[in-house]
Amino acid sequence: MSVLHLILELILMPLVAFVVGLALVLMMRKIAARLQRRVGPPFLQPVYDIIKLYGKDTQISHGMIHEMGIIMAVGGYIAAETLLPVPGMSGLADKGGLVTLAYVLMIPSLGLALGVGQCANPNGSIGISRALTAMLAYDVPFILVIFGVAWMYGTTNLADMIAIQQQGGPQTWGIMQMPLLALAGLLTLPAMMGKHPYEIYVAPAEIATGPMVEMSGKFMGGLFVMQCFQLYTVGVLYTTLFLGGGENWLTFLLKVFAVLAIPMSIAYLFPRYRTEDVLRLMWKWPVLIGLLGLAVVMK
Amino acid sequence: MSKELNLWLDKLLNDIENVKVERKSSRRIRIDVESDALPALLELLQGHASYVHLSAISCVDWVDAGEFELVYHVWSYETRSLVSAHTRIPREPGIYLSIYDLYEPAGFFERDIHEMFGVYFEGSPDMEKFILTEWNGPPPMRKEFDSEAFVNQTFEFEDYRPQWLQDIEEEGGGITTRPEDVR
Amino acid sequence: MSKDDLILRKERQLQVELGQQRSNPLAHVFDNLVNFCRSRSLFMLHYCTGCGAIELPPAMTSRFDMERLGIQPMVTPRQADILLITGYVSIKTLKRIILTYEQMPAPKYVIGICSCTVNGGMYWQSYATAKVLKHYLPVDVYIAGCMPRPEAVIEGLQDLMEDIKSGRANSWKKYFHNYDYYLGNQQQLFGEDWQTPTDIIAEARHYDLLTEQTLGEHTALLEKHQKPLEALEMRLQGQKQPL
Repeated sequence: MSVLHLILELILMPLVAFVVGLALVLMMRKIAARLQRRVGPPFLQPVYDIIKLYGKDTQISHGMIHEMGIIMAVGGYIAAETLLPVPGMSGLADKGGLVTLAYVLMIPSLGLALGVGQCANPNGSIGISRALTAMLAYDVPFILVIFGVAWMYGTTNLADMIAIQQQGGPQTWGIMQMPLLALAGLLTLPAMMGKHPYEIYVAPAEIATGPMVEMSGKFMGGLFVMQCFQLYTVGVLYTTLFLGGGENWLTFLLKVFAVLAIPMSIAYLFPRYRTEDVLRLMWKWPVLIGLLGLAVVMK
Repeated sequence: MSKELNLWLDKLLNDIENVKVERKSSRRIRIDVESDALPALLELLQGHASYVHLSAISCVDWVDAGEFELVYHVWSYETRSLVSAHTRIPREPGIYLSIYDLYEPAGFFERDIHEMFGVYFEGSPDMEKFILTEWNGPPPMRKEFDSEAFVNQTFEFEDYRPQWLQDIEEEGGGITTRPEDVR
Repeated sequence: MSKDDLILRKERQLQVELGQQRSNPLAHVFDNLVNFCRSRSLFMLHYCTGCGAIELPPAMTSRFDMERLGIQPMVTPRQADILLITGYVSIKTLKRIILTYEQMPAPKYVIGICSCTVNGGMYWQSYATAKVLKHYLPVDVYIAGCMPRPEAVIEGLQDLMEDIKSGRANSWKKYFHNYDYYLGNQQQLFGEDWQTPTDIIAEARHYDLLTEQTLGEHTALLEKHQKPLEALEMRLQGQKQPL
């Protein structure tokens, strides 16, 4: 693949991720509204929010590290998008793999921690320590699941995994071959998305939205963009590992939306768990089911 | 059990001198007592007659008589009745004893009365302001403080003559009831 | 071209000469887009003062859904656009409202809900409430009532959205333009040593919003009494020394 082709893909993949992410945010808000017997926002609402946030006339910045934190948070996800293959483009997927992706997905939280630390607001510090604790909580089952999948397919290359699953047809999809690991992954999904009942870092009534307490204007716009990328990354990763990627854009998008609709529908029926309860839950059930699935796979 | 206690209480209170007792209903007793005998009466009620809960302390400003009337409402869970002990203190020094050592919630009520009426309670743990922290004037619940005059002096109101009212007045109508006439 | 177009063209030419409008007719496309997006996505601050706050949960929940207009509650002033002053404003609350208002990034809008913000309302004879809110903060829209029903609140918000879309809602600039007047009224209530952590005059200088009414006798008083801000003393429970 020529260099020009590669550069074009590196620019297009995050753009596609952004647009699909906007649609995913809209779906999340519409599901929440319908569950609460409301109508919900209009179709272009996420776009209006982001344009309005970037269009603020005065800004309150707490220093260079505050701005760098947001750049790291969004940049980590943009780097992750180039490692996730989509129908038609695979970017850097064969150069990096699952392991690189797992590392790159840790950068946003750490970057946000830097930025929030500069804000010097106690609510922000409590919020970001909760976010890092949640990351610690979901990383253990996450690593178990991707280890099991990599063992099963014999490769950490995501493009190869998609090729294997699409060649064999639906009976070779990950969800059919390793159902226990797929279940463990589904249980970890709400924690990775940061939705209820594991939404401990954005706690609007307790700690005034935690890390976002001092973010205004363009910083908040950056975090809204990060949310679009976050939903997209999590959905596409699950689809690639367990649902066979996508042969064409239509089936791919259908699968991503369907996978993400499940935790979103459950999310708005639950209140929030305490921090220690999140740790305990994440390290109990998904880990047990993941270890069982791992035992089955490695036999 | 409660009937016995009520009978006993009525007899006891009627035996004490300088105390005027009036039973308003089966659950309400009103006692008028001198200001120097009030703490002893409250201690008697608390210790011997099971009135352990202080519901409130309120204050009434009798300007013409030159006195403050303090009312102590105490409640008993056993007899389920409320005793209101009324006492009068002279308005001029406006100083009285605190009953914080008998009932702990009294500290809160006495702080409120000190802020609103200016009565000082000796022995109360905290006499700082907590509601009117921005207020620098006289204690506002005293009858000689005219709130409306103060407001007209300090604040400016908007002159509100909207177009629809002017149209009505041109046709001969207008506002019929002024606020001054209603009071 | 029609007569209206001719008149419009002449007006625009006059405004270009006065320096109010730019000569390129396409220069306003971006401004119109941003104003449209601002009007369709408003974040209200979830701090509702006074008794009128009880009319906001019905406006947010399923019967009179506010989210279909794009309005959602946000918890910190840094993220919010609208400050809703619902109900009477006691002097204690007014201090906190001014502190909150100055922390919000521009463009910001203030809505005075209930009659107590208009001209004193039911508590006009009270010694501890502020009577006319617009003497202390610039207000965009008033919604009168005691309390106004959720339909009235939503209609008022729609009026505000129309104002924003047409570019008329600029009251946040008024605070910078006339800071001396507002500071004078605030000092009358709170005393001469009233100061907030936000440096309004420096902000006005930075964003080119300084006029000759910004500085005056009241800001001179503020400068005389201004003390540098100290950090709050933080101490763990049971410790004698501060951290």
